[in-house]
Amino acid sequence: MSTDTSTVFIIDDEPAIRDSLTLMIRQEGITVKTYDSGKAFLAAHHEGSLGCAIVDVKMPDMDGLQLQEYLARKNIQLPIIFLTGHGDIPMSVRAIKAGAVDFLTKPVTREKLLTAIHSALNEAKRILSENANHQHAETLLAGLTERERDVMLLAIQGHHNKEIARLLEISHRTVEIHKSKIMHKTGAMNLLDLARLAHDGGVS
Amino acid sequence: MTSPFQDLCSQTLFDAVPEAMLLIDKSGYVVLTNSAARQLLGYSEKEIIGLEVEALMPRQYHEHHRHYRNAFNENPEQRNMGTGAVLDVLCQDGKVLKVDIGLTPVRMTDQKFTLASIRVADRRRQAEEALRTSEERLRLSKQAANLAVFDFGPNYIIKHWDEKMSVLWGAEAESELSDKQFLTVIHPDDRHAREYALNSATDPAGKGKYKIEYRVIEPATGAERWVIALGRVFFKNGVASRLIGVARDITERKLLSKKLQQYRNETESLLAQQVAAQTASAIAHELNQPLAAISAYGEVALHAFENDSIDETTIKHALESCIEQAHRAGKSLHELIAFLQKGDLIKEQFNLNDLVKEAVNIARGDDYGHFTPELQIEENLATVIGNKIQIQKILVNLLRNAIEAVRTINTASPPITITVRNNSEIKMVHVTVKDKGPGLNADIAQRVFEPFFTTKPTGVGMGLAISRALTEANGGKMWLDPSDGTGAAFHFTLPLAS
Repeated sequence: MSTDTSTVFIIDDEPAIRDSLTLMIRQEGITVKTYDSGKAFLAAHHEGSLGCAIVDVKMPDMDGLQLQEYLARKNIQLPIIFLTGHGDIPMSVRAIKAGAVDFLTKPVTREKLLTAIHSALNEAKRILSENANHQHAETLLAGLTERERDVMLLAIQGHHNKEIARLLEISHRTVEIHKSKIMHKTGAMNLLDLARLAHDGGVS
Repeated sequence: MTSPFQDLCSQTLFDAVPEAMLLIDKSGYVVLTNSAARQLLGYSEKEIIGLEVEALMPRQYHEHHRHYRNAFNENPEQRNMGTGAVLDVLCQDGKVLKVDIGLTPVRMTDQKFTLASIRVADRRRQAEEALRTSEERLRLSKQAANLAVFDFGPNYIIKHWDEKMSVLWGAEAESELSDKQFLTVIHPDDRHAREYALNSATDPAGKGKYKIEYRVIEPATGAERWVIALGRVFFKNGVASRLIGVARDITERKLLSKKLQQYRNETESLLAQQVAAQTASAIAHELNQPLAAISAYGEVALHAFENDSIDETTIKHALESCIEQAHRAGKSLHELIAFLQKGDLIKEQFNLNDLVKEAVNIARGDDYGHFTPELQIEENLATVIGNKIQIQKILVNLLRNAIEAVRTINTASPPITITVRNNSEIKMVHVTVKDKGPGLNADIAQRVFEPFFTTKPTGVGMGLAISRALTEANGGKMWLDPSDGTGAAFHFTLPLAS
């Protein structure tokens, strides 16, 4: 079950926790990098690298929830598994609502931790591919003219060519020409394909 | 026109009236007296005629009287001297009589005289007046102090029972109360205590003082009221013959102090809970990190074995780390306990006797139950050193335990003996709290100091465990004397200051 390219980042101020969890996760063939504080992690982290973070809630300076908040503000999409000594329910609800994958209590069993890591890494992959799709779609949609964009938006909303012509006050024929150009430029096979592309590209 | 009785009228009539009469001239000299006057004042006619009238009154009135005399002469009228007040006259033998004096201006051949008639004051009327005043005063002060008065004869037969008393007993103010009714209204739980107080008050060897607080239950409504009764017993031929005293409704005060105590207990238990929670949280935090690491290292080693991927270095490292973390956990725990015990232990030097008295007052005042403290205190007690608050806590704990133990006994105010003495051999002060309860069997005696051990339905079982821990923290020891079969005796020692 090796996930060669993904990395688990352990952020915990407790050396024994970092060390023992590293051994455990490495036994699964997963790469591990450890940091003793949120700041150390932020300084070293390269955006876009595939992976997830195991974050201790209670740390001096920047605690786990503050780190999560900071990442969200910087729009860094990193799946987070929280570890806590004695987490209360409101705290875990807050963390999960803010997008945490899991909220685990120390001591954590191997099974629970690995399950959480796998779902976090899946989430990371989903985010990565979503981002890739987004970039691809953005590139394709970038080639469209202003008018073609307008036609596309109305088309994927389900308007017929006649309606589009009336709404944009152009001829039916012109709409047809725009549409054929749109399909050609984006490589979309049909209207449904185009709608998905527009969604990925963040246009719709 | 002269009356045929003129001769009779003058001297004879004057002598015949039973009232003492003196004729005084305007300079204040006695010019004429009748025999009643001479008899009353003890003078012969020769002696009294020509006396200045002031000679017939105690010295302190002389000056004022001369002044009043002049005023009367200027404005003569028939009236009572001293406007009705009882006056003093001085007899020849020095005796002072209480009298009423009437004054009548008399005019004879150009000269003005004053006729003074002296009557010995009516003692009965005076006494009645004084009684009325005194009764009124008593009534008003009773009212002001909200006091009811009772008076019992021999065998506690009600002799007198005022209106207020009836009201306290929930009866109509006017209605008579039978002796039996009187007792049934007293709360059943308090009858023993009252009887006990009554018995000690009527004990001819005692001081005859009666003081007891008890509840009465209003027959009609069932409402409960607290009453304090204070009284004094009078003895005749060595037997109690009368108990007279006052009672007062103290329900409000009782309720207030009960409420206060309740608040105090609630606050104390809340504080205890918070301290417990904080302590538990601190321990949890200190232990959880190493436990989490040990668990993870353990699983790493186990996983290595199970998958036959025995990487010796990893396994060795994991196991060594396990041990290291376990030691770390133990060390944190010891440090934490040392810290908690050291916490607020400020020691000072003090006299344990004073603290024992304070603790007895706390235990008596906290509504935990009645008891009679029997202090056996060594007067020349050596000064001890320790934390006063903790030692007070120990004493109150032991007293409360003792009170619980004797509660089963059918005595209103069972004795609890507190002994404080020097033990120069071990350089300690030795305290014993001994009750006359059922005692503890060997089984229970062995376990009383264990945490969470209790024989009480609502107890937590920490009292004695904490007491012993506190004693030890203060350098002393606590133990139970199991050999004593007549109730439990708890002992503890405290080190001397020197």
